[in-house]
Amino acid sequence: MDRLLVSPSPHVHAKDSTSRIMGDVCIALLPAIVVSVLFYGWAELLVLAVGAVSCVAFEWAITKFLFKEEGRFCGASALVTGLLLAMNLPVTTPWWVVLIGSLFAIGVVKMSFGGLGQNVFNPAIAARVFLLISFPTYMTDWTVTPGFIHATDAVSGATLLGRYAEGGMQAVEGLDYLQTFFYNIGGSAGEISALALLAGFVYLLCRKVVKPWITLSIFATVALISFIFNLADPATYTGPLFNLLTGGLVLGACFMATDYVTSPMSNWGGVVYGVGIGFIVMMIRYFGAYPEGVSFAILIMNMAVPFLNKWFHQKKYGRK
Amino acid sequence: MSKITFPIGGVHPADSKFAANCPIEVLPLPQVVYVSMAQHLGAPAKPVVEVGAEVKAGQVIAEPGGFISAFVHSPVSGTVKSIGPRKDLAGNNMTHIEITVQGDEWAEGIDLSDTLVTEIPQDRAFILERIQKNGVVGLGGATFPTHVKLNPAPGSKAECLIINGAECEPFLTSDYRIMLESPRQIVIGAAIMRKVLGDCPCVIGIEDNKPEAIKTMQAANAELGYDGIQIRIMKKKYPQGGEKQLIAAVMGREVGSGALPISVGAVVQNVATALAVYDAVQKNKPLVTNTLTITGDCLPQSAMHNYLFRIGMPLSYIAEYAGGVPEKAAKLISGGPMMGKAIANLDACTVKGSSSILYLSEAATRRKPQQNCIRCGRCADACPMGLEPFLLNRLYKAGDVEALEQNAAQDCIECGCCLYSCPSYIPLLDNIRMAKGQVMGVIRNRNKK
Repeated sequence: MDRLLVSPSPHVHAKDSTSRIMGDVCIALLPAIVVSVLFYGWAELLVLAVGAVSCVAFEWAITKFLFKEEGRFCGASALVTGLLLAMNLPVTTPWWVVLIGSLFAIGVVKMSFGGLGQNVFNPAIAARVFLLISFPTYMTDWTVTPGFIHATDAVSGATLLGRYAEGGMQAVEGLDYLQTFFYNIGGSAGEISALALLAGFVYLLCRKVVKPWITLSIFATVALISFIFNLADPATYTGPLFNLLTGGLVLGACFMATDYVTSPMSNWGGVVYGVGIGFIVMMIRYFGAYPEGVSFAILIMNMAVPFLNKWFHQKKYGRK
Repeated sequence: MSKITFPIGGVHPADSKFAANCPIEVLPLPQVVYVSMAQHLGAPAKPVVEVGAEVKAGQVIAEPGGFISAFVHSPVSGTVKSIGPRKDLAGNNMTHIEITVQGDEWAEGIDLSDTLVTEIPQDRAFILERIQKNGVVGLGGATFPTHVKLNPAPGSKAECLIINGAECEPFLTSDYRIMLESPRQIVIGAAIMRKVLGDCPCVIGIEDNKPEAIKTMQAANAELGYDGIQIRIMKKKYPQGGEKQLIAAVMGREVGSGALPISVGAVVQNVATALAVYDAVQKNKPLVTNTLTITGDCLPQSAMHNYLFRIGMPLSYIAEYAGGVPEKAAKLISGGPMMGKAIANLDACTVKGSSSILYLSEAATRRKPQQNCIRCGRCADACPMGLEPFLLNRLYKAGDVEALEQNAAQDCIECGCCLYSCPSYIPLLDNIRMAKGQVMGVIRNRNKK
């Protein structure tokens, strides 16, 4: 006891840390990752591995050689970005395209704004949109590679949303929604199983890593809008179940829109943010040029976050 | 009846009440005591004894230095050796009266017997005078003079007396022990304060992690059978013992920013204060003793203690008696781990409000390196005042005092929940304390004009 510490209170700390939180998100992504590898095989594993490793490597290299502050390196956070980016890409994406996506996500979207916690846009989504615009052929090739439990040969096909955008309601008639909830072949890794994603999300809720408000308000808005349109004109507009279970909605609502850094701080801000995302998603799906709009919706609402933080605050004690 | 708690924020640090089963032991007298003149909130007391004077235990040695101030009594019998500055717990120089201990003789008129006096005096002025003359101050942390708090300004009326038995700070067990060992005295003290406040209802709140204390206090309350006192069980959550949080939990009311609890009809007192009030009014015994806990994460169970100490005892004397400072102790704290003060050495002496000597190991207490804010919002969720620490931290760094005031930095109660819960180890409370100081300065200047 020759050298005593003296510092202001509090003198103890919760066992939480940034790395532990990000680690929890990785654990929550595991069910969906396992399912995607089972369905899409080695090719999917390669995309995931390239995304994960390259994001962590870029984060490390930039903090070490550009920031020259290794203390700012948070590998777990980069790992989350890498996994989410990979889960947003078609399984046939060439490795070097994934690499470019990682560099854009970490180098441009995250680090150029100051690194962890400073970025305005969700890095994984911004990178996906960047790739979609830069490499449209690769990014809309929904060829399915042979998996371990789904041993067909490689087939090329369109996603459900793609079929709807092309052929209208007739193209998606007779869909088995229960099966779609468990698994749906076609689309990126993050679009396969709503069940696996929700299982991970429930884990995050139990670990108190995220709050449910943003996710619930996205689901509710999408369900409500599609319910109204579907009721008004069932021959033209898809219904709530279709819109909730297809595309990247579950992945986006559970894992991307809930990203701490790019979502509002307050609960009510989160609700408004979620409603905005849900609304934009449905407008793009029904009327937009792209079949799917979750990425665009989240990016657009990312821009509204500073305002939502300014307008919505927690209830203060003893104040109106 | 359902369990109550405060609605906004709060955290759940590990209980660590290792000393809970250690009965209170009486510390033997040291050879010398140093009695501080600033044992209470408000103006320091003024010494009324000369060097060389013979004093008895319980004799007045200093008088109030202002309206908000308190009497200080000699804790021991002996000779005044010196009167002069000495470092207090906060490291500030403060006048201390040094007394060499000789025997243990008490001043006249003090009832030192164990006989329980259950009859409540009916004369309000008599009660208040006894409380004031015996130097009673709030023992829940703030050491606000009790007679001032129990005498609300004309026009304000107490609607509920809340007795705080939450002891929400981890490690500390002194309140728990007195609830187990002196439950009837505490209930009588509560009944006396209730009488002073115009027979307002009284709620004694105890957290549900102390079932034994709840049982004992309920039994004592039933046995004594006073009107208007009930025991409420509270769901464990830190900082339940915070005045504003207790009022929200018990009464469902919120005290406005900058306002006093009495503005919503609340008066909050600690169980240890209730015990001191019992001693002062029923036994005419001045506040010269209190209970403190010797505890920590780097102490063996056998070295944990709850001690009845006299004010002015050097901390080093108590630590020595308890078995010395443990090897692994990296931080010494007077008070709990959430709001207590880290002390650089054991040279300071106990005061009326001392509650513990807490030894924490390096693993438990050293702050980890700060990382970037990831805007997780845990600090805002944890803040029991509903503030946004991440925002206040940013505004403080930007030097925007106006925005700090708009975002209520001055409402911070310094409970430490924000820093405790930050996964990036950002020194939120350190900065918000500074911000609060700046805003308070601006408000004071504005009010002067």
